[in-house]
Amino acid sequence: MWEKLCNDFYINFIKDDRWMYITDGLQNTLKITFFAVLIGIALGFLVAMVRSTYENTGKLKILNGICTIYLTVIRGTPVVVQLMIMYFIIFSTVDPGQVTTAILAFGINSGAYVAEIFRSGINSIERGQFEAGRSLGFNYAQTMWYIIMPQAFRNVIPTLANEFIVLLKETSVAGYIGLQDLTKGGDIIRSRTYSAFMPLIAVALIYLVMVMVFSYLVKLMERRLKRSEH
Amino acid sequence: MSINHKEKPLIQVRNLGKKFGDLEVLKDISVDIYKGDVVCVIGPSGSGKSTFLRCLNRLEDPTSGHILFEDVDIVDKKTDIDKHRQKMGMVFQQFNLFPHMTILKNLTLAPMKLQGRSQADAEKQAMELLKKVGLADRAQAYPNQLSGGQKQRIAIVRALCMNPDVMLFDEPTSALDPEMVGEVLNVMRELAEEKMTMVVVTHEMGFAREVATRVMFMDGGYFLEENEPKEFFANPKNERLKSFLSKVL
Repeated sequence: MWEKLCNDFYINFIKDDRWMYITDGLQNTLKITFFAVLIGIALGFLVAMVRSTYENTGKLKILNGICTIYLTVIRGTPVVVQLMIMYFIIFSTVDPGQVTTAILAFGINSGAYVAEIFRSGINSIERGQFEAGRSLGFNYAQTMWYIIMPQAFRNVIPTLANEFIVLLKETSVAGYIGLQDLTKGGDIIRSRTYSAFMPLIAVALIYLVMVMVFSYLVKLMERRLKRSEH
Repeated sequence: MSINHKEKPLIQVRNLGKKFGDLEVLKDISVDIYKGDVVCVIGPSGSGKSTFLRCLNRLEDPTSGHILFEDVDIVDKKTDIDKHRQKMGMVFQQFNLFPHMTILKNLTLAPMKLQGRSQADAEKQAMELLKKVGLADRAQAYPNQLSGGQKQRIAIVRALCMNPDVMLFDEPTSALDPEMVGEVLNVMRELAEEKMTMVVVTHEMGFAREVATRVMFMDGGYFLEENEPKEFFANPKNERLKSFLSKVL
């Protein structure tokens, strides 16, 4: 039994330096997630501002229309289909590289969800806060920036963290465009060694550890923000 | 009007009307408010008094009429309302302090960002005013560490830090525990003694009687009666006012 395990481990990770499939894949997974999160936050912030400005003031009607279409399409189709459309259709002639394509696809996808998270955060702030800001002489944008957004951001941190955990795990479909991410790395080992247990469990454990570390960091941050309020 | 004024009014309200959909909340209101006036607006709930007050700094957009504040029509869409709001402090029923900032930050944010004053300058004034309302030791606290009465005193100070020409109070004591009403009214009384121009929507008849220079009764979207406080409470003429006073006094 023990011998078989050791042998399995040797074949799947040590022989021919197969562990490098995992580490190379992990690098790509982290790269894609990190930059997709940045794009998601930036895009989500902009879309949320447009949408709530329209809701509050009736301005930016055309932009709001565009944003609504974006949200409907992105949230109404599977991310793996979006990824393939991005790679095989949009970038069919100019190839910016698989990783860049994946970053764009996942970033644009995440932006839609982040936008709705931000918007619900903004809507959760009492109207009185907005009126207090305006009554002091702040204009709409200043009131948003100094008074509404800091409070809204605080309220949505747990939901936002959840979205990024989902995003990290969703990048596991990157193999569909031939990109070697963590999941694909494990799958390559499996196809070479014909033994599924070790590589797939290893991949699962690595995802799990990343999510747990990230959740812990978010909890620390939440606690720090809470402390500054009391 | 009982007092003869030589100077021009600070705020001239002309034929002000406000509709929410089909509901006509304010109907053709014209009032002059002079420098140093302490105007108390009383009336039953739903009479339009809060809407009237909120029209004065355009938190509600009037449907018709004009409001001249320091000779500028602030109802005019072309007017930079943010600029004029800096000169009109407002105090809300629900305090509306910014919960993510310390008290001192609450007080200095607007003066620093809008009037370009230095932090030292803004903090100096804030601390002086805090001392005056007896809350200097709470400068570094956060709003949710304060009682309702303390919050409202801070909210008054926050408006004062912009050095406004007029202060608008929207039922400032209605959300307070009874025992905290006095501390807020005292601050307002001091403000009145310093000749601050004030428009106060209130249910505190005692305050109106003692502090106001003019009391106005609103019902159904009109001002039905206005007088100096002694006469107003002793000899009400309008029937609706008579019945209102008989219920609240």
